[in-house]
Amino acid sequence: MDKIIYAILISNDRQDELTRLLSGIRGISDSNLFNITYNDISVVASDFSSNKIIVDKEFAIDYARVIEDLAQHFTLLPVRFGTLMESPDAINEILIKYYDEFKQNLQKVENKYEFSLKVLWDYEKCSGKIRLKTESEDQNAAKLFHNNSVSTEYLLKKIKEHRFESALLEHVEQLIGEISTRLAQLNPIHKFQKMVTPNIILDAVFLLEKHKKDEFIQAIDHLKSQHDDLNFLLTGPWPPYNFVEITLK
Amino acid sequence: MQENVIDQSKDITILEILDRVLNKGVVLTGDIVISVADIDLVYLGVKLLLSSVETMQKNKLNTVKPSLQIK
Amino acid sequence: MSEDKILLNSGPIDDFVGEIEKLESSATSRVNATPDNADSGLAKLVLTLIELIRKLVEKQAMRRVEGGSLTDDEIEKLGETLMKLEAKMEELKEIFKLTDEDLNINLGPLGNLM
Repeated sequence: MDKIIYAILISNDRQDELTRLLSGIRGISDSNLFNITYNDISVVASDFSSNKIIVDKEFAIDYARVIEDLAQHFTLLPVRFGTLMESPDAINEILIKYYDEFKQNLQKVENKYEFSLKVLWDYEKCSGKIRLKTESEDQNAAKLFHNNSVSTEYLLKKIKEHRFESALLEHVEQLIGEISTRLAQLNPIHKFQKMVTPNIILDAVFLLEKHKKDEFIQAIDHLKSQHDDLNFLLTGPWPPYNFVEITLK
Repeated sequence: MQENVIDQSKDITILEILDRVLNKGVVLTGDIVISVADIDLVYLGVKLLLSSVETMQKNKLNTVKPSLQIK
Repeated sequence: MSEDKILLNSGPIDDFVGEIEKLESSATSRVNATPDNADSGLAKLVLTLIELIRKLVEKQAMRRVEGGSLTDDEIEKLGETLMKLEAKMEELKEIFKLTDEDLNINLGPLGNLM
Protein backbone atom coordinates (compact mmCIF):
# COMPACT_ATOMS: atom_id res chain seq x y z
CA MET A 1 0.00 0.00 0.00
CA ASP A 2 1.19 3.52 -0.81
CA LYS A 3 2.20 5.91 1.90
CA ILE A 4 1.05 9.50 1.82
CA ILE A 5 3.43 12.03 3.30
CA TYR A 6 2.24 14.95 5.42
CA ALA A 7 5.25 16.72 6.79
CA ILE A 8 8.92 16.66 7.61
CA LEU A 9 9.75 17.82 11.11
CA ILE A 10 12.48 18.31 13.66
CA SER A 11 11.99 15.56 16.21
CA ASN A 12 15.34 15.76 18.02
CA ASP A 13 15.12 13.70 21.18
CA ARG A 14 11.35 14.16 21.40
CA GLN A 15 10.55 10.82 19.76
CA ASP A 16 8.21 9.69 22.51
CA GLU A 17 6.32 12.94 22.44
CA LEU A 18 5.91 12.62 18.66
CA THR A 19 4.65 9.05 18.92
CA ARG A 20 2.16 10.09 21.59
CA LEU A 21 0.97 13.03 19.51
CA LEU A 22 0.55 10.89 16.38
CA SER A 23 -1.53 8.34 18.23
CA GLY A 24 -4.00 11.11 19.03
CA ILE A 25 -4.40 12.44 15.47
CA ARG A 26 -6.18 10.68 12.60
CA GLY A 27 -4.86 10.83 9.07
CA ILE A 28 -6.79 10.89 5.78
CA SER A 29 -9.76 8.49 5.81
CA ASP A 30 -9.21 7.84 9.48
CA SER A 31 -5.83 6.22 8.83
CA ASN A 32 -3.10 5.70 11.41
CA LEU A 33 -0.19 8.10 11.32
CA PHE A 34 3.35 6.92 11.78
CA ASN A 35 6.78 8.48 11.65
CA ILE A 36 10.04 7.50 10.04
CA THR A 37 13.07 9.04 11.65
CA TYR A 38 16.60 9.70 10.55
CA ASN A 39 18.94 11.46 12.97
CA ASP A 40 16.99 14.41 14.34
CA ILE A 41 14.32 14.69 11.65
CA SER A 42 11.19 12.67 10.97
CA VAL A 43 8.69 12.19 8.20
CA VAL A 44 5.04 11.81 9.17
CA ALA A 45 3.03 9.54 6.89
CA SER A 46 0.04 7.22 6.74
CA ASP A 47 -1.30 4.45 4.51
CA PHE A 48 -3.15 5.54 1.41
CA SER A 49 -5.02 3.19 -0.83
CA SER A 50 -3.32 3.47 -4.17
CA ASN A 51 -6.24 2.99 -6.51
CA LYS A 52 -7.77 6.28 -5.46
CA ILE A 53 -6.19 8.56 -7.99
CA ILE A 54 -8.85 11.21 -7.81
CA VAL A 55 -9.63 12.23 -4.31
CA ASP A 56 -12.02 14.53 -2.64
CA LYS A 57 -11.48 18.05 -1.34
CA GLU A 58 -12.25 16.65 2.10
CA PHE A 59 -9.02 14.67 1.91
CA ALA A 60 -7.08 17.84 1.38
CA ILE A 61 -8.68 19.39 4.42
CA ASP A 62 -7.95 16.29 6.51
CA TYR A 63 -4.40 16.55 5.32
CA ALA A 64 -4.12 20.19 6.28
CA ARG A 65 -5.54 19.45 9.71
CA VAL A 66 -2.82 16.90 10.41
CA ILE A 67 -0.16 19.42 9.43
CA GLU A 68 -1.82 22.10 11.55
CA ASP A 69 -1.93 19.83 14.61
CA LEU A 70 1.69 18.82 14.21
CA ALA A 71 2.76 22.42 13.73
CA GLN A 72 1.42 23.26 17.20
CA HIS A 73 4.18 21.12 18.68
CA PHE A 74 6.98 20.74 16.17
CA THR A 75 8.89 22.81 13.64
CA LEU A 76 7.88 21.33 10.31
CA LEU A 77 7.88 21.57 6.54
CA PRO A 78 4.48 20.85 5.05
CA VAL A 79 4.63 18.49 2.09
CA ARG A 80 2.38 19.21 -0.86
CA PHE A 81 -0.85 17.27 -0.80
CA GLY A 82 -0.81 14.16 -2.92
CA THR A 83 2.75 13.11 -2.37
CA LEU A 84 2.84 9.35 -2.30
CA MET A 85 5.70 6.99 -1.69
CA GLU A 86 5.78 3.29 -2.36
CA SER A 87 7.10 2.14 0.98
CA PRO A 88 8.63 3.17 4.29
CA ASP A 89 11.97 2.25 2.77
CA ALA A 90 11.45 4.75 -0.04
CA ILE A 91 10.67 7.44 2.54
CA ASN A 92 13.74 6.55 4.51
CA GLU A 93 15.87 6.81 1.39
CA ILE A 94 14.55 10.32 0.69
CA LEU A 95 15.21 11.35 4.28
CA ILE A 96 18.81 10.25 4.10
CA LYS A 97 19.46 11.61 0.64
CA TYR A 98 17.96 15.04 1.25
CA TYR A 99 18.76 15.37 4.92
CA ASP A 100 20.80 18.54 4.42
CA GLU A 101 18.13 20.30 2.39
CA PHE A 102 15.42 19.37 4.85
CA LYS A 103 17.53 20.47 7.79
CA GLN A 104 18.40 23.78 6.20
CA ASN A 105 14.78 24.56 5.39
CA LEU A 106 13.64 23.50 8.84
CA GLN A 107 16.12 25.84 10.45
CA LYS A 108 14.88 28.66 8.27
CA VAL A 109 11.31 28.30 9.52
CA GLU A 110 12.06 27.49 13.14
CA ASN A 111 10.00 29.55 15.61
CA LYS A 112 8.28 31.33 12.77
CA TYR A 113 4.75 31.70 11.49
CA GLU A 114 3.47 32.28 8.00
CA PHE A 115 0.89 34.99 7.40
CA SER A 116 -1.05 35.76 4.29
CA LEU A 117 -2.15 39.19 3.16
CA LYS A 118 -4.49 39.70 0.27
CA VAL A 119 -5.28 43.22 -0.90
CA LEU A 120 -8.39 43.84 -2.96
CA TRP A 121 -9.57 46.87 -4.82
CA ASP A 122 -12.61 47.68 -6.82
CA TYR A 123 -11.17 47.15 -10.28
CA GLU A 124 -13.76 49.21 -12.13
CA LYS A 125 -13.38 52.22 -9.90
CA CYS A 126 -9.62 52.23 -9.40
CA SER A 127 -8.69 51.35 -12.94
CA GLY A 128 -10.87 54.23 -14.12
CA LYS A 129 -8.73 56.64 -12.13
CA ILE A 130 -5.53 55.20 -13.53
CA ARG A 131 -6.93 55.30 -17.05
CA LEU A 132 -7.55 59.01 -16.66
CA LYS A 133 -3.92 59.49 -15.71
CA THR A 134 -2.58 57.63 -18.72
CA GLU A 135 -4.75 59.49 -21.20
CA SER A 136 -2.10 62.06 -22.06
CA GLU A 137 0.31 59.25 -22.85
CA ASP A 138 -2.29 57.81 -25.15
CA GLN A 139 -2.10 61.00 -27.18
CA ASN A 140 1.60 60.36 -27.69
CA ALA A 141 1.02 56.79 -28.74
CA ALA A 142 -1.13 57.94 -31.64
CA LYS A 143 1.88 59.79 -33.06
CA LEU A 144 3.69 56.49 -33.61
CA PHE A 145 1.48 55.80 -36.58
CA HIS A 146 1.41 57.76 -39.81
CA ASN A 147 -1.12 55.69 -41.66
CA ASN A 148 -4.65 55.21 -40.59
CA SER A 149 -5.81 51.68 -41.17
CA VAL A 150 -7.52 48.80 -39.39
CA SER A 151 -4.08 47.49 -38.62
CA THR A 152 -2.71 50.65 -37.00
CA GLU A 153 -5.94 51.14 -35.14
CA TYR A 154 -5.55 47.68 -33.69
CA LEU A 155 -1.94 48.32 -32.69
CA LEU A 156 -2.85 51.61 -31.10
CA LYS A 157 -5.51 49.91 -29.04
CA LYS A 158 -2.99 47.27 -27.98
CA ILE A 159 -0.38 49.84 -27.04
CA LYS A 160 -2.87 51.69 -24.89
CA GLU A 161 -3.75 48.42 -23.19
CA HIS A 162 -0.12 47.64 -22.51
CA ARG A 163 0.58 51.10 -21.13
CA PHE A 164 -2.45 50.89 -18.94
CA GLU A 165 -1.22 47.55 -17.61
CA SER A 166 2.17 49.05 -16.80
CA ALA A 167 0.49 51.91 -14.97
CA LEU A 168 -1.54 49.46 -12.90
CA LEU A 169 1.55 47.49 -12.03
CA GLU A 170 3.37 50.64 -11.05
CA HIS A 171 0.55 51.46 -8.70
CA VAL A 172 0.81 48.04 -7.08
CA GLU A 173 4.59 48.38 -6.85
CA GLN A 174 4.07 51.55 -4.86
CA LEU A 175 1.85 49.72 -2.43
CA ILE A 176 4.40 46.94 -2.09
CA GLY A 177 7.03 49.56 -1.35
CA GLU A 178 4.84 51.05 1.31
CA ILE A 179 4.14 47.69 2.92
CA SER A 180 7.82 46.75 2.88
CA THR A 181 8.78 50.01 4.52
CA ARG A 182 6.12 49.67 7.16
CA LEU A 183 7.19 46.12 7.99
CA ALA A 184 10.94 46.66 7.66
CA GLN A 185 11.35 46.79 11.40
CA LEU A 186 9.84 43.33 11.80
CA ASN A 187 12.22 41.99 9.21
CA PRO A 188 9.95 39.36 7.69
CA ILE A 189 10.81 37.15 4.76
CA HIS A 190 8.20 38.02 2.18
CA LYS A 191 6.91 37.08 -1.22
CA PHE A 192 4.64 39.29 -3.29
CA GLN A 193 2.47 38.31 -6.20
CA LYS A 194 0.97 41.18 -8.12
CA MET A 195 -2.41 41.33 -9.85
CA VAL A 196 -3.36 37.73 -9.38
CA THR A 197 -6.93 38.51 -10.42
CA PRO A 198 -8.38 41.83 -11.61
CA ASN A 199 -9.49 42.53 -8.06
CA ILE A 200 -6.74 40.96 -5.96
CA ILE A 201 -3.94 43.39 -6.61
CA LEU A 202 -1.62 41.82 -4.11
CA ASP A 203 -1.21 38.34 -2.71
CA ALA A 204 1.57 38.45 -0.18
CA VAL A 205 2.98 35.95 2.28
CA PHE A 206 5.23 36.70 5.22
CA LEU A 207 7.36 34.56 7.43
CA LEU A 208 8.25 36.06 10.75
CA GLU A 209 9.15 35.22 14.32
CA LYS A 210 6.24 34.03 16.41
CA HIS A 211 6.62 36.72 19.04
CA LYS A 212 6.18 39.46 16.44
CA LYS A 213 2.65 38.40 15.60
CA ASP A 214 0.80 41.21 17.40
CA GLU A 215 3.14 43.87 16.17
CA PHE A 216 2.68 42.58 12.64
CA ILE A 217 -1.12 42.69 12.88
CA GLN A 218 -0.92 46.24 14.17
CA ALA A 219 1.31 47.30 11.30
CA ILE A 220 -1.10 45.88 8.74
CA ASP A 221 -4.01 47.46 10.58
CA HIS A 222 -2.28 50.79 10.34
CA LEU A 223 -1.72 50.37 6.61
CA LYS A 224 -5.35 49.49 6.21
CA SER A 225 -6.44 52.71 7.90
CA GLN A 226 -4.42 54.68 5.36
CA HIS A 227 -6.08 53.10 2.35
CA ASP A 228 -9.81 53.52 2.33
CA ASP A 229 -10.08 52.33 -1.24
CA LEU A 230 -8.39 49.00 -0.53
CA ASN A 231 -9.64 45.95 1.32
CA PHE A 232 -7.19 43.97 3.40
CA LEU A 233 -7.51 40.33 4.37
CA LEU A 234 -4.93 39.02 6.77
CA THR A 235 -4.94 35.34 7.72
CA GLY A 236 -2.75 33.13 9.80
CA PRO A 237 -0.77 31.93 11.54
CA TRP A 238 -0.10 29.16 9.05
CA PRO A 239 2.51 26.45 8.89
CA PRO A 240 5.25 27.68 6.53
CA TYR A 241 3.75 26.34 3.30
CA ASN A 242 5.09 29.15 1.17
CA PHE A 243 8.62 29.13 2.47
CA VAL A 244 9.98 25.76 1.62
CA GLU A 245 12.03 25.53 -1.47
CA ILE A 246 12.89 21.97 -2.04
CA THR A 247 12.56 20.38 -5.39
CA LEU A 248 14.03 16.97 -5.54
CA LYS A 249 15.59 15.71 -8.68
CA MET B 1 -27.28 37.06 8.62
CA GLN B 2 -24.89 36.43 11.47
CA GLU B 3 -24.69 32.79 10.54
CA ASN B 4 -23.98 33.73 6.96
CA VAL B 5 -20.97 35.81 7.95
CA ILE B 6 -19.55 32.96 9.99
CA ASP B 7 -20.10 30.55 7.13
CA GLN B 8 -18.24 32.75 4.76
CA SER B 9 -15.33 33.41 7.01
CA LYS B 10 -15.04 29.67 7.34
CA ASP B 11 -15.09 29.49 3.55
CA ILE B 12 -12.13 31.82 3.36
CA THR B 13 -10.23 29.79 5.89
CA ILE B 14 -10.88 26.64 3.88
CA LEU B 15 -9.96 28.31 0.60
CA GLU B 16 -6.73 29.55 2.10
CA ILE B 17 -5.99 26.10 3.43
CA LEU B 18 -6.65 24.47 0.08
CA ASP B 19 -4.47 26.96 -1.72
CA ARG B 20 -1.65 26.04 0.58
CA VAL B 21 -2.05 22.31 0.69
CA LEU B 22 -2.54 21.96 -3.05
CA ASN B 23 -0.07 24.40 -4.43
CA LYS B 24 2.58 24.93 -1.81
CA GLY B 25 4.79 22.88 0.40
CA VAL B 26 7.69 20.59 -0.18
CA VAL B 27 7.48 19.17 -3.67
CA LEU B 28 9.00 15.76 -3.66
CA THR B 29 8.89 15.62 -7.39
CA GLY B 30 10.17 18.40 -9.55
CA ASP B 31 7.60 17.81 -12.21
CA ILE B 32 4.00 17.99 -13.11
CA VAL B 33 2.75 14.74 -14.41
CA ILE B 34 0.48 14.81 -17.40
CA SER B 35 -1.26 11.54 -17.74
CA VAL B 36 -3.58 10.22 -20.33
CA ALA B 37 -5.93 7.48 -19.27
CA ASP B 38 -3.91 7.03 -16.10
CA ILE B 39 -0.70 6.50 -18.01
CA ASP B 40 1.90 9.06 -17.08
CA LEU B 41 3.26 10.54 -20.25
CA VAL B 42 4.81 13.94 -19.86
CA TYR B 43 6.66 15.63 -17.06
CA LEU B 44 6.82 19.40 -16.99
CA GLY B 45 8.90 21.60 -14.76
CA VAL B 46 6.95 22.84 -11.76
CA LYS B 47 7.56 26.42 -12.77
CA LEU B 48 5.33 25.98 -15.76
CA LEU B 49 1.95 26.48 -14.22
CA LEU B 50 -0.89 24.91 -16.05
CA SER B 51 -4.43 24.98 -14.96
CA SER B 52 -6.05 21.79 -14.03
CA VAL B 53 -8.57 19.97 -16.06
CA GLU B 54 -10.26 18.89 -12.90
CA THR B 55 -11.00 22.20 -11.30
CA MET B 56 -11.70 22.78 -7.69
CA GLN B 57 -15.32 23.50 -8.55
CA LYS B 58 -15.72 19.84 -9.20
CA ASN B 59 -14.12 19.25 -5.84
CA LYS B 60 -11.71 16.82 -7.29
CA LEU B 61 -7.99 16.66 -7.09
CA ASN B 62 -5.48 14.59 -8.85
CA THR B 63 -2.55 13.18 -7.08
CA VAL B 64 0.86 12.70 -8.49
CA LYS B 65 3.03 9.77 -7.70
CA PRO B 66 6.43 11.19 -7.08
CA SER B 67 7.88 7.94 -5.87
CA LEU B 68 8.20 6.87 -9.46
CA GLN B 69 10.34 9.80 -10.41
CA ILE B 70 12.73 9.90 -7.53
CA LYS B 71 15.89 8.02 -7.98
CA MET C 1 -10.11 23.40 10.80
CA SER C 2 -12.94 25.01 12.69
CA GLU C 3 -10.66 27.61 14.13
CA ASP C 4 -10.84 31.00 12.54
CA LYS C 5 -7.69 32.07 10.80
CA ILE C 6 -8.85 35.52 9.84
CA LEU C 7 -6.86 38.08 11.76
CA LEU C 8 -8.01 41.18 10.01
CA ASN C 9 -10.52 41.93 7.34
CA SER C 10 -11.65 45.29 6.12
CA GLY C 11 -13.97 44.49 3.27
CA PRO C 12 -17.14 42.59 2.46
CA ILE C 13 -16.08 39.05 3.01
CA ASP C 14 -17.93 37.58 0.05
CA ASP C 15 -15.79 39.71 -2.26
CA PHE C 16 -12.80 37.81 -1.00
CA VAL C 17 -14.50 34.44 -1.21
CA GLY C 18 -15.39 35.00 -4.85
CA GLU C 19 -11.96 36.25 -5.78
CA ILE C 20 -10.05 33.56 -3.97
CA GLU C 21 -12.22 30.90 -5.56
CA LYS C 22 -11.25 32.27 -8.95
CA LEU C 23 -7.65 32.02 -7.91
CA GLU C 24 -8.01 28.43 -6.78
CA SER C 25 -9.58 27.18 -9.93
CA SER C 26 -6.81 28.51 -12.10
CA ALA C 27 -3.97 27.62 -9.79
CA THR C 28 -4.25 23.89 -9.42
CA SER C 29 -1.22 22.83 -11.28
CA ARG C 30 -2.03 19.39 -12.44
CA VAL C 31 -3.23 18.18 -15.73
CA ASN C 32 -4.86 14.86 -16.08
CA ALA C 33 -6.72 13.55 -19.07
CA THR C 34 -9.00 10.54 -18.89
CA PRO C 35 -11.01 8.94 -21.68
CA ASP C 36 -13.95 11.17 -20.75
CA ASN C 37 -12.20 14.50 -20.89
CA ALA C 38 -9.27 13.79 -23.19
CA ASP C 39 -10.42 16.33 -25.78
CA SER C 40 -10.86 19.27 -23.51
CA GLY C 41 -7.88 18.30 -21.39
CA LEU C 42 -5.39 18.28 -24.22
CA ALA C 43 -6.97 21.27 -25.94
CA LYS C 44 -6.67 23.22 -22.74
CA LEU C 45 -3.05 22.32 -22.32
CA VAL C 46 -2.14 23.12 -25.89
CA LEU C 47 -4.13 26.35 -26.03
CA THR C 48 -2.64 27.52 -22.77
CA LEU C 49 0.82 27.19 -24.24
CA ILE C 50 -0.16 28.80 -27.54
CA GLU C 51 -1.83 31.71 -25.79
CA LEU C 52 1.19 32.20 -23.58
CA ILE C 53 3.46 32.40 -26.60
CA ARG C 54 1.02 34.64 -28.48
CA LYS C 55 0.99 37.06 -25.57
CA LEU C 56 4.75 37.11 -25.39
CA VAL C 57 4.97 37.82 -29.09
CA GLU C 58 2.42 40.59 -28.74
CA LYS C 59 4.37 42.17 -25.91
CA GLN C 60 7.58 42.07 -27.84
CA ALA C 61 5.85 43.56 -30.89
CA MET C 62 4.51 46.47 -28.83
CA ARG C 63 8.01 47.21 -27.66
CA ARG C 64 9.26 47.32 -31.21
CA VAL C 65 6.45 49.60 -32.32
CA GLU C 66 7.00 51.93 -29.39
CA GLY C 67 10.70 51.88 -30.06
CA GLY C 68 9.97 53.60 -33.36
CA SER C 69 12.39 51.52 -35.41
CA LEU C 70 9.79 49.98 -37.71
CA THR C 71 8.73 51.37 -41.06
CA ASP C 72 5.11 52.19 -41.72
CA ASP C 73 4.94 49.14 -43.95
CA GLU C 74 6.30 46.85 -41.29
CA ILE C 75 3.90 48.28 -38.75
CA GLU C 76 1.03 47.67 -41.10
CA LYS C 77 1.96 44.01 -41.55
CA LEU C 78 2.68 43.46 -37.90
CA GLY C 79 -0.70 44.83 -36.87
CA GLU C 80 -2.49 42.67 -39.36
CA THR C 81 -0.67 39.52 -38.27
CA LEU C 82 -1.27 40.10 -34.59
CA MET C 83 -4.90 40.82 -35.25
CA LYS C 84 -5.28 37.58 -37.18
CA LEU C 85 -3.49 35.61 -34.48
CA GLU C 86 -5.81 36.94 -31.85
CA ALA C 87 -8.87 36.20 -33.97
CA LYS C 88 -7.61 32.67 -34.58
CA MET C 89 -7.12 32.15 -30.88
CA GLU C 90 -10.68 33.29 -30.20
CA GLU C 91 -11.91 30.80 -32.77
CA LEU C 92 -10.00 27.95 -31.16
CA LYS C 93 -11.29 28.86 -27.74
CA GLU C 94 -14.79 28.84 -29.11
CA ILE C 95 -14.36 25.45 -30.72
CA PHE C 96 -13.14 23.86 -27.51
CA LYS C 97 -15.49 25.92 -25.37
CA LEU C 98 -12.67 27.32 -23.29
CA THR C 99 -12.58 30.70 -21.60
CA ASP C 100 -9.60 32.87 -20.76
CA GLU C 101 -9.88 31.75 -17.18
CA ASP C 102 -9.63 28.14 -18.28
CA LEU C 103 -6.33 28.99 -19.87
CA ASN C 104 -5.04 30.60 -16.70
CA ILE C 105 -4.66 33.77 -18.60
CA ASN C 106 -6.35 36.47 -16.70
CA LEU C 107 -7.06 39.34 -18.98
CA GLY C 108 -5.78 42.83 -18.69
CA PRO C 109 -2.97 43.76 -16.42
CA LEU C 110 -2.38 40.40 -15.03
CA GLY C 111 0.40 38.72 -16.89
CA ASN C 112 0.95 36.15 -14.18
CA LEU C 113 2.53 33.86 -16.69
CA MET C 114 4.79 36.60 -18.01
